[in-house]
Amino acid sequence: MSPWAIVTRREVLVRLTDKAFIIGTLIFMALLLGVTGWAAYQDSGVDHYEVASTPADRAMVASLEANAPEVDGSVRVSAVAVADASAARAALADGRVDAWLHRRGDGWELLTQSETKTSLFDATQQVVRGAVVAANARAAGTTAEAIQRGATVTSRLVEGNVDRENLGRAAGMIFAFVFYLSSLMFGVQLAGSVVEEKQNRIVEIIASAIPVRHLLAGKIIGNTLVAMLQVVVYIAVGLVGLSFTSYGTYVPELTGPVVWFFAFFLAGFVALASLWAVAGALASRMEDLQATTTPLTLMVMVMFFGSLLFQGTARVIASFAPPFSAVLMPIRIVEQDASAWEALIALTLLLAFTLVTILVGERLYRRSLLQSGGRVGLRAAWSAPE
Amino acid sequence: MLEVRNLTRRFGDVTAVDDATFSVPGGVMTGFVGGNGAGKTTTMRMIMGVLGITAGRVGWDGREITTADRRRFGYMPEERGLYPKQRVIDQLAYLGRLKGMDAGAARRTVMDHLERFGLAERAKDRVQELSLGNQQRVQITAAVMADPAALILDEPFSGLDPAAVDAMADLLRDHTARGVPVLFSSHQLDLVERLCDRLVVLKGGRVLAEGTAADLQSRGPRLVRLVLDGDAGWVRDRPGVRVADLDRTTVVFEPADADAADAVLRDALHRGRVEAFAPVIPSLNDVYLEMTK
Repeated sequence: MSPWAIVTRREVLVRLTDKAFIIGTLIFMALLLGVTGWAAYQDSGVDHYEVASTPADRAMVASLEANAPEVDGSVRVSAVAVADASAARAALADGRVDAWLHRRGDGWELLTQSETKTSLFDATQQVVRGAVVAANARAAGTTAEAIQRGATVTSRLVEGNVDRENLGRAAGMIFAFVFYLSSLMFGVQLAGSVVEEKQNRIVEIIASAIPVRHLLAGKIIGNTLVAMLQVVVYIAVGLVGLSFTSYGTYVPELTGPVVWFFAFFLAGFVALASLWAVAGALASRMEDLQATTTPLTLMVMVMFFGSLLFQGTARVIASFAPPFSAVLMPIRIVEQDASAWEALIALTLLLAFTLVTILVGERLYRRSLLQSGGRVGLRAAWSAPE
Repeated sequence: MLEVRNLTRRFGDVTAVDDATFSVPGGVMTGFVGGNGAGKTTTMRMIMGVLGITAGRVGWDGREITTADRRRFGYMPEERGLYPKQRVIDQLAYLGRLKGMDAGAARRTVMDHLERFGLAERAKDRVQELSLGNQQRVQITAAVMADPAALILDEPFSGLDPAAVDAMADLLRDHTARGVPVLFSSHQLDLVERLCDRLVVLKGGRVLAEGTAADLQSRGPRLVRLVLDGDAGWVRDRPGVRVADLDRTTVVFEPADADAADAVLRDALHRGRVEAFAPVIPSLNDVYLEMTK
């Protein structure tokens, strides 16, 4: 096994057995399941209505019972037979029925006790209108279809559709948030583990046993693997949860954007990880870490809030500019605002940026890792003799 | 054999190690002594390649040392600690694997060493749960576990009780017995005197002396102590003699040569009874203090 692979293995095992990490992951998964589960429950909610009918109106209420689910999937109607109008009012008053549908004057009335049941009213209106129009048509010697021919109005959007846009916006926010959370959490951990090794001088034992480059590679690869695993689990849980909601039909359509998100996440995460490792190497003690990691913390925050706040042209430009592109381009993709070639250009630029941060990071890490006694300045680290 | 030749390290305007030259031969323990800031740690870090060398070189088996050579060395840094939250067995096995051992061999060797130190049942404990002395045993295990070609140990005995010092010294002797050079730093001279075959004395980054304890002790003036049953003041007037100390019946003097000393003894026997006549061997501590004054 190569030295870097041994280091990678340790990083992965340490992280996966870390209680705080396990608990944090479970909490976030529970949160995801909770949100999608609640949405699914909201969507699948079916309202049952008991509707009273006097003998004269039985046929219409029976028709309502039969046809209401067709009109509105979330409405179920049960007909409740009552003897007369006063029995119907009594049943309404003591809550045995939700409504009383009866003929009134020239038309029909849906009487409810104290609140308007909108979904029941809409369903009733459609069913009654259909039945009455059919009856009138028959009386006039024609059919309902003949009367209504050419009168249908359908709606269509010039661009996309509202549900898809809302979903895109929500998915984009989740992408940005997951990146923000992961890179910050793993970044701080990575910087902490580097300074822990420095402070304990174990780095001197390791550096005399293997090239420092291997130690850095193992740490970055190990943390990236665990972060990717965590994100894959999050996204999978999110997509499975989503499939149970009314947005479930869009899940196959999200596969492409999710794959792009993984690609951008990977490149962006690795770029930042090598910088977090440098932040750890510049410190000599845990107490220095605050100072050496602040620029990175700020950068990650700017990346996150920038992805939410940038608008118009600025947003398009930022979606190509590393490191912002790591967050913004996947958002534009899932919002169907960017095409594949735009994504490819942004990814290429981001990969180039990642390569630069790895090369710069490796030099700074190598030259500051074994310097003890206080914080190492960036300039000093860059020009330090090896 | 490890050879340090004209090794120099500067930090800005400060010269921490100044043209140091000494050898660490195989099969013996070499003590590295010197006060705080003498440059011991800096020298050891340069030998191990974890600190850059300003000038000079480190030789191994008659040639320039390489990274591959150093990888086979066992090293125990100063102010050390291991991963506090990782289990003893896991992190020692990890360090063993980084040294090129396979996983099974690393675990076996670790358990052998832990048993030797009576720590076998603590193998699954986290390092931070061990006492400082036990942590030190774990650290020395990390240094010696991979059958090192040389041992570079920075203050390996600090903070250990006498029994632990003996156990660790025995362990180190096992390694010198198979011909390995061992260099360890210490500021406890009595310990160095007891354990070491050779010494290197460092002060202000410069090597003041190198050799066996007897070599060092014989570098000072050769003094003779004479105890008589009467007053010893007459010794002052003998030719070829410089009196260093006189306390009524006891005199410590430096003879110009062996004949001058013999003449004093003959005279003393002539004058009365001689209680004692012996060379004065200075303690290593006195030699060191004299040398680093």
